[in-house]
Amino acid sequence: MSAVPQQELPRPGGFPEIRYKRYLPKLGPSGLVLFSGITLMCTFGLYRTGQGIHERRELEREKVWSRIYLIPMLQAEADRDTYRREVAAREREAQIMKNVKGWKVGESVYNSKRYTPQTHVVLP
Amino acid sequence: MSTHREATNLSTGKFVDPTPAPSESAHPEVGATSAPLKSAAFFIGAYCKDYNEDFLLCKDENNDPAHCLKEGRKVTRCAMDLINKLRENCEKEWETHYKCLEKHNQEYYACRKQESTFNECVFSKLVML
Repeated sequence: MSAVPQQELPRPGGFPEIRYKRYLPKLGPSGLVLFSGITLMCTFGLYRTGQGIHERRELEREKVWSRIYLIPMLQAEADRDTYRREVAAREREAQIMKNVKGWKVGESVYNSKRYTPQTHVVLP
Repeated sequence: MSTHREATNLSTGKFVDPTPAPSESAHPEVGATSAPLKSAAFFIGAYCKDYNEDFLLCKDENNDPAHCLKEGRKVTRCAMDLINKLRENCEKEWETHYKCLEKHNQEYYACRKQESTFNECVFSKLVML
């Protein structure tokens, strides 16, 4: 037995490095790039959606105004026709009720001066 | 034998009153269909603004059809006048535009090109605004 104790030592040149890390290949862009890219895309999409909503609203406004501008003309025409029908109906009523004493032709059933369209009409 | 019917039948066309209009309300009608009217709507609105507003104020005063016959005749006459002017000056452009409207469900946005040529014609030939 020698006096110098024999100690276990690494082999000459040392052990190779232990590979404890995962060596995955780098996949795709970084999180920051992804996050900011998605934010940008969403912002752009929302902007375009907003523009579309504005445009649709304007189109609707245009349509409504085109109808508003035509209302007086159409209403005037309809009024003349209604007036013609009412006069004719009153004449028929007068003809039918001429023998009834105290009958007022075209008298409203309402106790009001406001105009009410006729709900019933006398047909010949 | 006369009967009573609901007045709603009148608008469904089951009963057409053949009585001619009384002399105080008789007036020729515009007689245009929906597409030409829609095509010229903004011109009618601008050209007949005073008459239209007068008529609507009158209607607001009293809803009776007999109350606003005079104002209504003015409105119709104004629209007919404008339609005659459009037909004299821009008939081709107007026809192109309203035929396009007819084809595209009467949506304005489908016929911008025809609309702008019609507008250009009206603005250059009819100074009315």
